[in-house]
Amino acid sequence: MIRAEVVVELDGREVYRGESKSFVQNFSKILFAILNGTGGVDLAYEGPVSSAVVQKPDGATTTVYGEYYTKYTPSAITSGGTAMGFKAGAGEDAWGILVGSGSDPVSPTQYNLSAKIPHGTDPGKLYYDVHTVTSSYSDTSSYVEIARSFINKSSQPVTVREVGLFARNRYQRADAIEVDVIFMVARDVLPNPVTVNPLGSLLIRYRVILTT
Amino acid sequence: MSQPLNPMRGFIEIEVRDREGRVIQRGRHEMKSFTNNFLKILEGFFNSYGNYPSEYVAKPASKATVVAPDGTSKDAWTEAYYDYHRCGGVAMATRAGAGVDSYGIVVGSGTTPFNLNNYALATKIAHGTGAGQLNYDVMSLDDLGLDTSVSPPVYRVRLMRGFKNLTSSTITITEVSVIARAYWKYTGGVVNDVLFLIARDVLPTSYTVPAGGSASVAVVIEVAMG
Repeated sequence: MIRAEVVVELDGREVYRGESKSFVQNFSKILFAILNGTGGVDLAYEGPVSSAVVQKPDGATTTVYGEYYTKYTPSAITSGGTAMGFKAGAGEDAWGILVGSGSDPVSPTQYNLSAKIPHGTDPGKLYYDVHTVTSSYSDTSSYVEIARSFINKSSQPVTVREVGLFARNRYQRADAIEVDVIFMVARDVLPNPVTVNPLGSLLIRYRVILTT
Repeated sequence: MSQPLNPMRGFIEIEVRDREGRVIQRGRHEMKSFTNNFLKILEGFFNSYGNYPSEYVAKPASKATVVAPDGTSKDAWTEAYYDYHRCGGVAMATRAGAGVDSYGIVVGSGTTPFNLNNYALATKIAHGTGAGQLNYDVMSLDDLGLDTSVSPPVYRVRLMRGFKNLTSSTITITEVSVIARAYWKYTGGVVNDVLFLIARDVLPTSYTVPAGGSASVAVVIEVAMG
């Protein structure tokens, strides 16, 4: 059995732990694209093998790739990529775990938070920290967790009502970014708003749990 | 709206036909058995940057240590970059071709109970036309889309494979697995090619494929949403 949890900690104290109920259809689409890969393609092959159409945060539809090979690149610039990256760095508020102040009910076709709280130190913003990933495996119960901290460096409280998980599908070569698409894979509305006071910190953890 | 405790689950659907094409056995069983390897690939994706991290030139930027069907631990890449070359790959492919019994849906005749650390079938039924073997057809995958007629809505993805019994004896299927392939290459060669079991179920009912008959095995992955 696979299930997911969202855990919210405010100033080091757990204030919410509940089932994540809100994978959106983008998640299943990229999962399909990855599983639909073949592997074993010829060395000379360039381009996509498997793909899916997802909705970006602006609502536009676009193609992402589960299996993809960049074009030849005769320079030192690096080629490669990933089907689904989450580990955005500090200050990056476009992918990974994002938070918002909106409370629109969740639906499978959603593609963005209702009202994203951007990264920053001004009122109404939160400072987005790096991600951490932890895991534990056994015969009967395992989990993997991605977490991110948010710090209120402004002089005003900031209220969080929604949490989203955004992936980035990106492949680059020397002279071009061949694919670069950010898309939301899960969104949860918290049952109660969480207010982060000035200099306060918020920790969001998405945990996927596997049991026999 | 009520919610299931498990946002993601799977079902195995099996249909057995005799040599005349008549359906002689059919069943649908909920899967109980995604493995730690599946979760480890998800961990690999959680650790993938989604952007080029300059300190990771010429090696994987992210990987998962899975257990291959031979029991050895191997790294399956989820993000990689190379200088001066084309580069790319896939972290968890299942669309194997006809006759390939090393990945995709693979069936067996064992009954060893499942645990999350399973990395192989108990007893694989190999591809072929010899005694005890089944002819493996090509894998097919279908994006079945969002079903809003159920509550909560679910999004379904189906993996399917056909198996023909070209031998003169019956063959019994008691376990079904999904084996994935991580495969990455650059201009100079293949740099990561790892097989790993992501699901295995011992069936509550055995399925007997008569000589000249066939079996169709589907794995439907269902994600509950909203």
